[in-house]
Amino acid sequence: MVSGGRRDVVVIGSGIEELVAALELAQAGLGVTVLEPGEVPGGQAASEEILPGFRIDPVHPDAGHLPPAIVNGLGLARHGLAELRPDPVLAAPAAGGEPLVLWRDPQATRASIARRSPRDAERWMGFAGRIASFSGILEAVAMRPPARPAGPLREMLPYFGVGRRIRSLGRSRMIELLRVLPLPAYDLLDDCFENDLLKGALGALSVRGVFQGPRSPGTSLALLHRQVGSPAGTFGPRTVVRGGVGALAAALTAAAKERGVQVRCGAEVAAIEVEEGRAVGVSLDGGEVIAAGWVLSGADPARTFLDLTGARHLDPDFVHAVRQIRFRGGYVRVHLALAEAPRFEGLDVEPQGSLVIAPELDAVERAYDDAKHGRMSGRPVLEARIPSLADPSVAPSGRHVMSIDARFVPLGDHPAPEPDLAGAMGDRVVELLAEHAPNLPGAILERRVLTPADLETRYRLTRGDPHHGELALDQLLFMRPVPGWGRYGTPIEGLYLCGPGTHPAGAVTGVSGRLAAAAILARRG
Amino acid sequence: MTSPAAVWDDVVVGGGHNGLVCAAYLARAGRRVLVLERRPVVGGAAVTEEVFPGFRFSVFSYVVSLLRPEIIRDLDLPGHGLHIVPLESTFNPLPDGDYLATWADPDATRRELYRHSPRDADAYLEFGRLMQRMAMAVKPLLSVSPPDPASWRPRDLLAMGRLARHFRGLGERDLHALVKLMTMSSADYLAEWFESEPLKAAKSASGIIGTFLGPRSPGTAYVLLHHYMGEIDGVFRAWGFARGGTGAVSDAIASAARSFGAEIRTDAPVRQVLVENGRAAGVVLDDGEEIRARAVISGLDPRRTFLELVEPAELPDELVEAVRRFRFRGSSGKVNLALSEPPDFTALPGDGPHLRGAIAIAPGVDYLERAYDDAKYGEFSRRPFLDIVIPSLIDPGMAPPGKHVMSIFVQYAPYHRNGGWDDRSREAFGDAVIDTLAEYAPNVRSAILHRQVITPADIETVTGLSEGNIFQGELALSQLFFLRPAPAWAGHTTPIRGYYQCGSGTHPGGGVMGASGHLAARAVLAQGGGRW
Repeated sequence: MVSGGRRDVVVIGSGIEELVAALELAQAGLGVTVLEPGEVPGGQAASEEILPGFRIDPVHPDAGHLPPAIVNGLGLARHGLAELRPDPVLAAPAAGGEPLVLWRDPQATRASIARRSPRDAERWMGFAGRIASFSGILEAVAMRPPARPAGPLREMLPYFGVGRRIRSLGRSRMIELLRVLPLPAYDLLDDCFENDLLKGALGALSVRGVFQGPRSPGTSLALLHRQVGSPAGTFGPRTVVRGGVGALAAALTAAAKERGVQVRCGAEVAAIEVEEGRAVGVSLDGGEVIAAGWVLSGADPARTFLDLTGARHLDPDFVHAVRQIRFRGGYVRVHLALAEAPRFEGLDVEPQGSLVIAPELDAVERAYDDAKHGRMSGRPVLEARIPSLADPSVAPSGRHVMSIDARFVPLGDHPAPEPDLAGAMGDRVVELLAEHAPNLPGAILERRVLTPADLETRYRLTRGDPHHGELALDQLLFMRPVPGWGRYGTPIEGLYLCGPGTHPAGAVTGVSGRLAAAAILARRG
Repeated sequence: MTSPAAVWDDVVVGGGHNGLVCAAYLARAGRRVLVLERRPVVGGAAVTEEVFPGFRFSVFSYVVSLLRPEIIRDLDLPGHGLHIVPLESTFNPLPDGDYLATWADPDATRRELYRHSPRDADAYLEFGRLMQRMAMAVKPLLSVSPPDPASWRPRDLLAMGRLARHFRGLGERDLHALVKLMTMSSADYLAEWFESEPLKAAKSASGIIGTFLGPRSPGTAYVLLHHYMGEIDGVFRAWGFARGGTGAVSDAIASAARSFGAEIRTDAPVRQVLVENGRAAGVVLDDGEEIRARAVISGLDPRRTFLELVEPAELPDELVEAVRRFRFRGSSGKVNLALSEPPDFTALPGDGPHLRGAIAIAPGVDYLERAYDDAKYGEFSRRPFLDIVIPSLIDPGMAPPGKHVMSIFVQYAPYHRNGGWDDRSREAFGDAVIDTLAEYAPNVRSAILHRQVITPADIETVTGLSEGNIFQGELALSQLFFLRPAPAWAGHTTPIRGYYQCGSGTHPGGGVMGASGHLAARAVLAQGGGRW
């Protein structure tokens, strides 16, 4: 059953990256159809209500770093996109003491830190500047398709600019960058600071996207990765838009439709059709076949290649490499609808940015230890936001929504995962929060917990990993998604990949979609 | 401009194996060389000592593998008495009463692995071939002084270009394999190859030796490779004992150095390096004796080389800061036992070739990871990883007739133990080791005639290695190649003219390899050794 005529491009999934790619391709004059299995466009970026009027972003804590170039280039402001700047950026409640508060204004942050440690305050600006300049290098790398080190030299050409930029850091910072990339965040923070709460809070930010504790090499890089695009010292949410990530998806969908992109919901792709080594379209669950010149998949690489394409179309070595990708969910996301805002003891400002509960670096490490040995963390590390504080549009007046990432839970391959992981972890998270905000348990109107298993079922995320593969040193750049295939093309002619499973691994929003679209356009000639 | 009082061309501070190698090469080049060793014996951590009457131990370093073959040839070490006996088997007893072994005969190894997993038995051969290729890919790095990546000097740019060409020349496939090996955890890396838990554990154990990391920490797969780089007679992955213990390696190198005319003084602790007008002019001993030389080469670790032997004020702040940040964190200890009889393992009772190879207690990746967890929070492992050899079974001269010596390398024993190390904690640590071993070989308890327990604090006190780190600084990704020991000073030179570094805290570092000493000698000779 073939329907609707042949499309130039069919895009699997309607997440942010897929929509950006669709827009870019449509702008180049191609006929594009986006296929979304769910009822609304956006995929895992679509927001939902947990109670009438209480809107949450089920998967994404923020919109990542959304560069102005994408917002302006795609005319998203016209479609209602508005950026918010929550301040303070981070608050870290302390047991029985004054919370640590980091502000957008570095001087205010300095003063806040000085109350705990004058020495740390002294070093704050230097640290923040160093991280920002290193993240700047990462950002420059993120904007380019990865070059293969043994590949043709022309792939390297765009990197001369990056090289110059690295050189321009000056000799000592340049060397420092080399040292920091493989350094454990524990060492990076411990070299610089003495205050446990400060180190704990930054340590908690360093284990996002990895299933590791801060003592593991690679966690400094995870911190730098997360800071890409953030001004010096703003360790908190990245881009925050009114209405949440769901509003970004909605604006992109509107822009895409305006450019003639067909967005079809309720269209679950069953297979990528391959003929003589070339992708020729997709077939849907109901059997409908959509023929296309190009197929762009935003599904994760394991799902794209093993489920949708099928190993029979691929070289065994390539299939082996795909099977080796480490997908590691490792955390749960807890959503709360609240009758009132939680009141954190000792905190006299509204925590509009991130709330981090991680009293010290070892607390983060121990939370990981538990999960490493197959148990959920006894005292998970929490990174939370109450979006309704800065954005009343997401909850009824006077009410609030709160979303918490709680790390860690064991990976699925452990023999005895908690029978009711969602319930147990949800309870534990609320207990932990209640230690700092006693009014919170009584304010809960509704609670929803998403475990890795839930993410796998709902969003077809392999092993519940929303990053489409751990942000590990060996799974970045030309090694992502599999070694040698980092430039969005695949061994199947006409089949392309985008999404966080490809470079730059979600560091800058929209970039993988944009680069994948460019790869298709370049191939098309 | 030479100092009129200079008698020596070169003074080497510290008679460890790298200092001795450096001295031997310098003397061979016709220079007048003096080695100053603090202890009564040369060798540093590579010494054999009669700890108990009639029982001789390789007190610290206990196997030979990484010693560079060109050094063995250049210095004719066999001619100076070095005789290496290969360790041909590995034996890992398991808690369920089974064991995993590899034997000298590849067919026997294959059958043994097949017993655990037919798939792994096949993969094992291919894995070995890949490791060999990877070791070949990295090997050229062992024989060059790292360039300074931030420099615009043509020499450094050329060296960087050569490195880039070398790696591009490996081809895509091997390059990817190398990137994975350099960045992954040994547990993850091995999981890509093998399914049998005992095999993964046995292999990942070699990824953690000497590190303050667990098998699940990224960066440990590289250490695994480091331990594959050993070669004896050109055979990769060959480990052995020196007849007469590891001290025999140092003695052979010392003998070679003397044969080229070097002088070696023991009981001669160096207090400081004399620096005059920004250049090294000699050393002062603890007793005040001043010895002048055109070049001074420190075989001590970077902390002592830069922060103790010279005034930090003589150095750029950046270097001082880098050395202060350089991580040592010794993580291992040693237990040396004098035994009335060999151990009798429940898993494989009686005598047999398994006692003549390397014996390890590393029954599972989680076991190793738990051992690491203890150390992270400042305790020695309640159930540690043990790497055991019984030299007296191969080299009877090490113990009185019928008696045996057993060397147990133990990880983890953190230098920064909560509450520090004292006699009580040392003995408690020793007990944990014996308890662990006795679970697999119950007769050991009653066979012990004497025991010597060595904590990282003891390693520091006896050998001078800061924080008891056996590699003179962690072999972590952030402390390798052009970062070892500090950026811009990874080429065995220092900012003080005529002052050089040759310890394993410099590239390539770690193990009784001698490469640091050899490269340092080349650096001294290349700069004319201070003759300007």
